[in-house]
Amino acid sequence: MLIATVRDYLEAVKSGEIKAEDFLPEAIQKAERIQKAYSPFITIDKKARPSASKGPLYGLPVSIKDSICTNGMQTTAGSKILEGYIPPFDATCVTRIKDSGAAIIGKTAMDEFGFGTFSTNCAYGAPKNPLDIERSCGGSSGGAGCITAAADFPHIAIAQSTGGSITAPAAFTGTVGLTPTYGRVSRYGLIDYSNSMDKIGVISKCVYDSALMLSVISGHDPLDSTSSEVKSEDFTKHLNSDVKGMKIALPKEYFSSGIDPKIAKLVRDKAERLQQLGAKVEDVSLPLTKYAMPAYYMIALSEASTNLAKFCGLRYGLQKEIQGNFDEYFSKIRTEGFGEEAKRRIIFGTYARMAGYRDAYYLKAFKVRARIIDEFKKTFAKYDALITPSMPILPPKFSDISKLSPIQIYNMDIMTTAPNMAGMPTLSVPIGKIDGLPVGMQIISNHFMEGKTIAIGAKIEELK
Amino acid sequence: MSVMIGVEVHTQLNTESKIFCSDSTDARDKKPNENTCPICLGFPGSKPKLNKRALEFGMLIGLALNCKITGTMFFSRKAYFYPDLSKNYQITQYEAPVATEGHLAIGDEKIRIRRVHIEEDPAKLMYVDGDINTAKYVIMDYNRAGTPLAEIVTEPDFTSPKQVRAFLEKMSSILEHLGVYDSSKEASLRVDANISVDGGERVEIKNITGFENVEKALSFELVRQNGLRRVNATVKRETRHFNAELKTTSALRTKEFEEDYGYIFDPDLPTIVVGKDWVEELQANMPELPDQRVARFIKQYKLNDYTSTVLVYTDKCLADFFEESCKLYKKPEVVSNWLMNYILKSLNWRSERIRDSKVKPDTFIEMLKLIEDGKITERYAKELVKEYVDTGTSPKKLAEKNIVKMSEADVEKIVVQTLKQNSNVAEEYKAGRKESLQFLIGKVLAATNKQADPNIIRKLLLKELESK
Ligand SMILES: [Zn+2]
Repeated sequence: MLIATVRDYLEAVKSGEIKAEDFLPEAIQKAERIQKAYSPFITIDKKARPSASKGPLYGLPVSIKDSICTNGMQTTAGSKILEGYIPPFDATCVTRIKDSGAAIIGKTAMDEFGFGTFSTNCAYGAPKNPLDIERSCGGSSGGAGCITAAADFPHIAIAQSTGGSITAPAAFTGTVGLTPTYGRVSRYGLIDYSNSMDKIGVISKCVYDSALMLSVISGHDPLDSTSSEVKSEDFTKHLNSDVKGMKIALPKEYFSSGIDPKIAKLVRDKAERLQQLGAKVEDVSLPLTKYAMPAYYMIALSEASTNLAKFCGLRYGLQKEIQGNFDEYFSKIRTEGFGEEAKRRIIFGTYARMAGYRDAYYLKAFKVRARIIDEFKKTFAKYDALITPSMPILPPKFSDISKLSPIQIYNMDIMTTAPNMAGMPTLSVPIGKIDGLPVGMQIISNHFMEGKTIAIGAKIEELK
Repeated sequence: MSVMIGVEVHTQLNTESKIFCSDSTDARDKKPNENTCPICLGFPGSKPKLNKRALEFGMLIGLALNCKITGTMFFSRKAYFYPDLSKNYQITQYEAPVATEGHLAIGDEKIRIRRVHIEEDPAKLMYVDGDINTAKYVIMDYNRAGTPLAEIVTEPDFTSPKQVRAFLEKMSSILEHLGVYDSSKEASLRVDANISVDGGERVEIKNITGFENVEKALSFELVRQNGLRRVNATVKRETRHFNAELKTTSALRTKEFEEDYGYIFDPDLPTIVVGKDWVEELQANMPELPDQRVARFIKQYKLNDYTSTVLVYTDKCLADFFEESCKLYKKPEVVSNWLMNYILKSLNWRSERIRDSKVKPDTFIEMLKLIEDGKITERYAKELVKEYVDTGTSPKKLAEKNIVKMSEADVEKIVVQTLKQNSNVAEEYKAGRKESLQFLIGKVLAATNKQADPNIIRKLLLKELESK
């Protein structure tokens, strides 16, 4: 039987029409075939079974980004330094997914520790775009985008974003990517990139699936002191909300130079369709946007450089025969275990927080972030949502990415760094194709207003 | 030549659980690394969670030292690679410590307190078959990792090593009275001291344990630095180590620049806003502090200043013992006298704290009652103290064989008999050799098996000698 959607599958399982135990081995076989073709996984659990006897996601195949700890299943964060590492505990979101009855089928590929926009900084191989294997899936949650796009079985991916790592792969693979408000989903068990910006979210085939999964994983967690007290809700109910009367703004800085004009036009066209549906669409200016990218990298890399200090080959992960003193030993481990981009970011982040630089870079970046949050807050006092392109370019070829300098690559994050560093929820939805390649639209809303992005995203989806 | 001394006092806070996880801080009967979890071992994905009690202990210290409590505080990461740090950074407070700008009076002088902050203790490193430079390898015990620490930093206001010691003794008593510190735990108070003399650079002496050692280390440094200055030699800026056996300090490393720890805000721990209500609540429930207790002892028990000070400042549990005993035996002066002059001496001899000893208020006052009832002599009681402190056996039981005191008539018989046996000594006394009396008292006492009161013996001897 061919079951197209998560919704139909879950209903069929519930009614007894399908037995999850019969279906799962078949799904895993398919996943293995996809793995051969596009490499979305670092680990596949061939014996995946429902983790609880019932629940809202009973029997649903779910993949988890490899930076999220899974008890008893290898978790590497895409780095060689954690090769073979088996966490002794589940991340809170994994516990919640297991309690919902889902089956965790594997861990998805990513840029090492989330350090990348194209999933090309992967210690275990880059996932290939199912729409064109010469092209990138986007990053850093590239494996999540890849398996979601390629899956010919019901499935939802858990991804994670610091500065755009859900939106980028969603846009490049033509899938839906939901980045929740900072604090909405517990970070307990997430291997940190930049703790003040890391957000666990979802990549899925449709808006409904993302809303459904967010309902399962969100909500306060005492183990993560930064997790919000705001209660979880059934986010699927927003799918039927009307956009009529909604005020939507197009920030002009997100449609200016550096953005593929064809992408900009497609996004504007969709905005016009929303207007036809009764939304009020206006142009606004967010002049601080240009400061977001540098400030984002200052904060993210300062935090990352301390987060990565713990990987020294002593208590877990990569180990070698102990030779020399502690300094010599951990230097050897880190030299071998970290990839080039991780090393670049550790050095960058370490400089940004050293005496003499700290005030000018690290502390100043915090002031910039406060101003950017303020700018968003002021905008959201007048508008329900902002609409922007998800990525400034179409999915690039691997051969072109290798020619880009690090700064050119960092510049690919211009659509996503500001909302990500401000902790605003975003939803990336596919809005069509240009030259056969997918284009995504990013909907940004105020803190804890995921519902509005879901309502707008669902309407866009219907327009297809 | 004038001298400026400042200290940093590090103390473990005796909360039940660690500062950022729920492991117990008490590892006394535990195997190495038994009190650990993914959080204090810094496992990937784990996140710290602040133990509010540790923060409150820090605030209590701040309040007791007359500090301002910081309204908005946060934690920072102090980054440096060292195997005792599971994350290769320490969670501490940098820009926003718990408390700032306080003071503590030492006699008539005010020592300013710069800051009080809390942080996590690193793991314990044990060097196998050698020291840090010679050991072939190191073994690590993370049971200690994550125990809350408070660091108290003074301004360089001390003018003598002796004053520093007085400060540390007072500080330790304050911490004990606050109930935040357990002085019986190993190395629970560690001191870094900095000292400079006129025309010299600041010298730091790291990690000294024991107040006596702090005074000795500083005294040595003072002599050394003054000696250098007297011959116009320079006192270098450096960090020195105190050798407790040799009572000297030696250079550890020359600091050419401040170490750069690249502090960042710890993004896993949200900013804490301390409202007025919280501070007021802590203030209202503040335990009695040692100075207040001394004042109360003077008033309530009619003790003099010296006695009250010794009882309170020697050791909090001595003052507690005193008060408990007074509840059972309502003669505070007698209690304090026996406690300070006899029990304490015996305990000191055994290097034991009263809390950990076999001495208990109920058995202790048993002895005082035996004396009061005339069942044992004071003199005998003083001899009994040692055995009592050693064994904790009830004084009633210890004194059983001597409990029946001789009647005066019986003593008189022995006096007469003794004078007969020592007639030559009696003659000497009559001839004017007054010190012979003491010899005779001793003789009678021995003859009574020490069951007679020496005062009575003296009285009876004088009566006999003068009548003849
Ligand atoms: Zn622990």
